[in-house]
Amino acid sequence: MLRVTQVTKKFGELTAVNNLSFEVAQGQVFGIAGPNGAGKSTVYNLITGLYDFEGSISFKDQNISGMTPHCIARLGIARTFQIPQTFPSLTVAKTVEVGSYFGSQTGFDRGHVNEVLAFVNLADKREAPTGSLNLLDKKMLMIGAALATRPEILMLDEPMAGSNSKEILRLMDLIRRINQDLGVTIILIEHFMKVLTELTQKLLIIETGTEICCGDPREVTSDPRVIECYLGDSHD
Amino acid sequence: MLVGIWAIVAVLPLFFGGTDFIMHILIMCLIWSVVASCWDLIMGFAGIFSFGQVAFFVIGSYTSAIVSAGFGVPPIFAVFIAGGFTALVGILVGLPCLKLKGAYIALVTFAVHMILEPVLKGDIGQAIGTGGTRGLLSIDPMTLFGYTFTTASPIPYFYLFFLVAVACSVIILLVIRSHWGTAFLALKDSQEFATCLGVSAFKYKLMVFALTSFLTGMMGGFYAHYVGMLSTRMLGIDLFVTLMVILVIGGVGKFPGAILGAFITIAINELLSPLGPFRPITMGALVVILVLLLPDGIVGLIQKLSRGSRGRLSPKVH
Repeated sequence: MLRVTQVTKKFGELTAVNNLSFEVAQGQVFGIAGPNGAGKSTVYNLITGLYDFEGSISFKDQNISGMTPHCIARLGIARTFQIPQTFPSLTVAKTVEVGSYFGSQTGFDRGHVNEVLAFVNLADKREAPTGSLNLLDKKMLMIGAALATRPEILMLDEPMAGSNSKEILRLMDLIRRINQDLGVTIILIEHFMKVLTELTQKLLIIETGTEICCGDPREVTSDPRVIECYLGDSHD
Repeated sequence: MLVGIWAIVAVLPLFFGGTDFIMHILIMCLIWSVVASCWDLIMGFAGIFSFGQVAFFVIGSYTSAIVSAGFGVPPIFAVFIAGGFTALVGILVGLPCLKLKGAYIALVTFAVHMILEPVLKGDIGQAIGTGGTRGLLSIDPMTLFGYTFTTASPIPYFYLFFLVAVACSVIILLVIRSHWGTAFLALKDSQEFATCLGVSAFKYKLMVFALTSFLTGMMGGFYAHYVGMLSTRMLGIDLFVTLMVILVIGGVGKFPGAILGAFITIAINELLSPLGPFRPITMGALVVILVLLLPDGIVGLIQKLSRGSRGRLSPKVH
């Protein structure tokens, strides 16, 4: 469904993503992990058109390299951000409407907006200003606005960051429901290995923008190269 | 609030219709209310720090004067041509701004303001009929259905400008309340998130440049036919600062604050005229105090009081 082929991104002298290739199948929950600064969020920025790059990215056999972010969103690729992004000038409902109005190929659908609000458990806060939401609700809202675009792929950037164990369970449940009930393919950047091994079917580990290994999450997390990458040489 | 403001303004000639000087001030308030509202739309709602509003006003005024004098176009049509031409200039200025943020947009748009005066005064200006350093001294008055508006009887002119200002404010209000307004606010708050939700930054930023420069340029055209003469003096710092004060007093991003701000600012400015050279200093001090006490302007204060009376604590959002 999504194919990233030999993608490289340089910021001046720094190579953030180095000749990276991977493929995400339809209906899959695909995990991306790696230490801080590994280039995980940069990969998202390349897929969603926020940065230009070398190499190619295709979605459903259509080359999306060089497309603008809003065109990529309308094709069916939605994302969230590591630091929750909301629109302080808008209410919760209006924020979700932005996704439905501008990002959905089928056009604005108020009924779908209401369904999404209920799905992310924000129906009773629909008229609240987004600035008044707590961190978890802000994350839910970001996911809700992304879902309102009726995406085929949803890319979540560290959704568990800053959450307590209860909130992590709620978010994990939500991600499962998005994947299983709505049939949306998920790409998940996460640091919590437990979350990745429980949710994903395939896991890619990168370090300094280069692939360390990719495959079954349980095998990948026990790979010595991954352990070394996370814990350093001194662990043994 | 918009209906209330215009209802009060509509009856002002009943009290001041006999005094030409006050009627002239009221007409100028109507003109600046539209220009300031356009500036508020692009800066306060779309978050684009455009400092080219006065330049667009001047471009519109010269275009209308030149088109009506040089090509014999009736002034009522010339003002729309002026609006269209200014919108085109606005889009051309907006294009490089798409790649820029914040202060850099302010610099690019203010550069347009800065280069306009030498262009209008110089050889290029002379060639296109700006009158160079002398300016334009006999611009045709506005005519409509055979009636010629004159400054000698300012009440018809007042109601002409009143209708134009009401129409412009309704257009701005409709835009703010439509999906355009939502797109502007979303792009202002988080451009990355907005674009990843399908909002085209290119389309909506150019739209706001085109719309605000069209209305501002058109208003410049009406101004040219009202005052009957033009010079590059408008490009001095006075008008620029006055418009900024109007926005601050009314409340940035608090439409219809700019309309309220225009009437209050011009009224205060006139009331302070006996102070002579101390007037700008007093005006400046008032603005500083107002910014410190009321950062959201008069409309922000009204909204706060209205929410307080309803026992709500949440800020005004769309």
